[in-house]
Amino acid sequence: MQYLVDQIVSGIAVGAIYGLIAMGLALIYKSTGLANFAQGEMAMLIAYIAWTLAGLMPGHPWLVVGGALVASVVLGLAIERLIMRPMLGEPVFATVMVTIALAVILRAGAMLIWDPYPHALDIGIGRGVVMLGATGLREAQLAAILTLMAALAGFWAFFRYSRIGKAMRAVAADSRAAQLMGISAARIHAIAWTASAVIAGLAGIFFALLYDVSPNLYHVGLKSFPATILGGLDSVLGSGFGGVLIGVAENLAGGYLASSIKEIAGFIVIIAVLMIRPFGLFGERDIERV
Amino acid sequence: MHFRTLMAALLVMASTAAMAQQQGVTDKEILLGEVEPLTGPPALLGIAYNVGTKIAIAEANKAGGVNGRMLKLIVEDDGYVSARTLQALRKLIEVDKIFALTSLSGSGASVAALPVVEKAGLPTMASIAPISQLFQPPRKNVFAVGQTYEEGMYQLTRYLAMKFPDKKWGILTQDDDYGATLKGGFGMTARESKLNVVYQADYKKGQQDFSSEMLKVRSSGAEIFLAGGVIAETVGMVRELEKLNAKPVTAMFWPGRVSATLKLMGPAGDGIYAVDYVEAEDSAAYKAFLEKAKTLVGEAEIKAINRYTIASYVSTRVLIEAMRRCGKALTWECTIAEIEKTENFKTGLMGPVNFGKGVRFSSQAVRIMRADFATLSYKPVE
Amino acid sequence: MRSGHFKESIPGLIMLSDSVPVWVWSGLLLVALALAPYAMNAYALSFLILILITGTGALGLHVLTGCTGLISLGHVGFLLLGAYAYAVPVAKFGLPPLLGFFFAGAVPALAGLVVGLPSLRLKGLYLAITTLAFAFIISHLIIEMSWLTDGTRGITVPRPRLLGLDFDSDARFANLCLLVAVLTLFAVLNLGRSRVGRALIAVRDNDIAARAMGINLEAYKLKAFLTSAFVTGIAGALFGIYLSFVSIEGFPFLMSIEALAILIVGGLGSALGTVLGTVFIVLLPEASRIAFGLLGSQAERLFSLGAHEIRSVLYGVVIILFLRFEPRGLLGLWHDVRRLWVNWPLRY
Repeated sequence: MQYLVDQIVSGIAVGAIYGLIAMGLALIYKSTGLANFAQGEMAMLIAYIAWTLAGLMPGHPWLVVGGALVASVVLGLAIERLIMRPMLGEPVFATVMVTIALAVILRAGAMLIWDPYPHALDIGIGRGVVMLGATGLREAQLAAILTLMAALAGFWAFFRYSRIGKAMRAVAADSRAAQLMGISAARIHAIAWTASAVIAGLAGIFFALLYDVSPNLYHVGLKSFPATILGGLDSVLGSGFGGVLIGVAENLAGGYLASSIKEIAGFIVIIAVLMIRPFGLFGERDIERV
Repeated sequence: MHFRTLMAALLVMASTAAMAQQQGVTDKEILLGEVEPLTGPPALLGIAYNVGTKIAIAEANKAGGVNGRMLKLIVEDDGYVSARTLQALRKLIEVDKIFALTSLSGSGASVAALPVVEKAGLPTMASIAPISQLFQPPRKNVFAVGQTYEEGMYQLTRYLAMKFPDKKWGILTQDDDYGATLKGGFGMTARESKLNVVYQADYKKGQQDFSSEMLKVRSSGAEIFLAGGVIAETVGMVRELEKLNAKPVTAMFWPGRVSATLKLMGPAGDGIYAVDYVEAEDSAAYKAFLEKAKTLVGEAEIKAINRYTIASYVSTRVLIEAMRRCGKALTWECTIAEIEKTENFKTGLMGPVNFGKGVRFSSQAVRIMRADFATLSYKPVE
Repeated sequence: MRSGHFKESIPGLIMLSDSVPVWVWSGLLLVALALAPYAMNAYALSFLILILITGTGALGLHVLTGCTGLISLGHVGFLLLGAYAYAVPVAKFGLPPLLGFFFAGAVPALAGLVVGLPSLRLKGLYLAITTLAFAFIISHLIIEMSWLTDGTRGITVPRPRLLGLDFDSDARFANLCLLVAVLTLFAVLNLGRSRVGRALIAVRDNDIAARAMGINLEAYKLKAFLTSAFVTGIAGALFGIYLSFVSIEGFPFLMSIEALAILIVGGLGSALGTVLGTVFIVLLPEASRIAFGLLGSQAERLFSLGAHEIRSVLYGVVIILFLRFEPRGLLGLWHDVRRLWVNWPLRY
């Protein structure tokens, strides 16, 4: 029994990181209609920046995290303004390809500025073990779970109550009608990219604290795709849940079946779910008219 | 008829020309080439290996070159993708016209590259990951210095089985040829010493989280655990065990035997067993090598030095010495023959290198080591 | 100067080209491509072979993504399956290569039917990620079925002897690849002229409208998957032969992305665009290498350890700039050039 609990809890902890990145993916998809293939790379870049800051300011964990988040705001704005906005109105295919090219640049750029060796992100906190009953969790794992919960609650309230959140939903529903109502789609896109970069950055920092900072970090972006598909591409909250589900499914597959199945468990889950719900668990069915 | 005589004449001309001057050799220069992953995650070993070649070459050039000819190295990156390995080799051999190859890239890619290299016939050192396909059956022009993963794993587990008898064993390996050879070596010991194996599994290459596996290891009650990852994976396993407060005797393999691994593991890495055929960091020979390297290459290169640098340095030295023995009339034939004659070549950085008639693999004795977290290094066990 | 096209019959309307120069030039190009391997050095030849194989595979994806509008991120799975379906019977059981090529097409085609099933319900990215999932599952199965596939150790594949001809040399092999590539291109071009092709295009443009017009969506989507997987599988077999060694590692996931890049950069939905895209994407790394070389050896030394990364960055930047300024792809560029050529000095 304890074994099962341990497997589920550590699955939730991994899933929280997938979930955060998946929320970023869904946020961009919802407001711009694009799949951002550079989401994992954004997380990787912020993790590297945090690692550099940690080297510059040893003993100031909160400054490091704050600095990295400022960097992620800048990153999000820069990508939107310099790369994505000029592509506004171009075919979706071409724009998605641009995010793929961006991923290539970020990956190679990180290796160029830093190096291919894995590094430990040591900011003095996050690595200690907290006992929840008989189950041990690292501080950063707990923080990732709490952050995911906060993000879920925050986005729920944001979409429901804030003006910008409502505007975002309007742009997602019909960007032309929203623009006619006086909503600046460009500004909404900028907000979406920035918010998405910030949560990707947070996920990157958690990941780096738990594992390492290395060019491999971008893989986590690939793992987040099943999460956001499971939850529904246009459902920000659903994607968060999707991440947790994938994390738990992986761990149960690894714990009770074979370890080699673990990495494809998430994919098997999404195939099964999509057969029943073709728009994900929480996604909205497109109403198509001819 | 005419065509045939023409062809024959051409062939004779070509062969005499080759005798006069082999490709890649001019009066002042000898061109060497190597292919290895310099981008992507495997760059970790590729870059370090490249630095070793650079050091060996800089050293030879500083001493006046090989019989008055300066050595020049052309490096190609393959990102550990077989198709790019092939192209890089064709470029080096056909366009750059190099004289010899100092590396053939990592294991899977190097096997794919073998037919091309064999056909071209140029002297080739393949020491980055000496797997048995490279030298069994022996190929005329392909040489490897080092040790196979199988043999290394066999020695490591035999040592542990003797030191800790009657324990329960667990092993987790990567699901590729690297992992398969590790399992092969472990299997030999397991059959021989009738080990009690309670956990054996493969993880998918690129996996980062090992929580479910380590929970399984803990619940299986394994007392000796073989972490068969490369670097990040081994670190992930050890740190997960630390979190779970499980403390089996842990051992890892040489691709992970670099100080970066220990830095990442933190105190949890202290006392881990490792195996290698290259000298440990705190040996006199290694320190002397580091001092020498500082006078030969730049700071960025010095920072990239690890055990792969040594593997490359020794292997390239063997090639350079063979070329030197050939004298002024440097040819592939002669170089291959001279490498073959290499006997008891000592650098102090690993055991003596020996080749012989039909021997294309200089098998190096392995040594069991233990990690010391305080100094971030590995020390041989008595 | 040609002024307008007047078609009087359906065959005239749908023929591949009614222009004699186009046929003549295409024929000349074909002859040149068939003879060129015997005059090239092995390095240039390796690019030619790679372009021909990649082009075949990309045309396979074109049938699915370009013609039918079903995005696949998992085409590397079909490539892998094709390579193994050739390598296992030929290298392990000693069956004739021709039979190997049959398997290399048939096995992925069957898998394509399975992968195609979800496409009846899923759309856009949902489908794309599902195909990605299938690619991962296929490579997992290949590793698991090690009694048949030798698992992770890989299989060494010899160059084939077909119909009494030996394809051992690279030049000969290039001819084989050329033959396959040209046949594929011809088949794909002709597909567009047939009922099937037009139905696929209707599905791409609007599947609900297509269904309303009496097109059996299920049948056509599955046909697209089948054809696409068949062609890609053949390309996979050729790629395996070219590598002379088939293993999971020889087929990284990035190949799927690269194939999509080829379609988009070339101009989505056009076979000619796919060909142009293939040439561009395969040669881009080499072009950036040359561009880097022009900066001189000083630059090379300055970035002694980073030169390769800089090239990767350059690769990404070129694609972004290209899509920024020519989102219609190379095909759009080609149309501009052609119009300029025909109408000059008039603007249009």
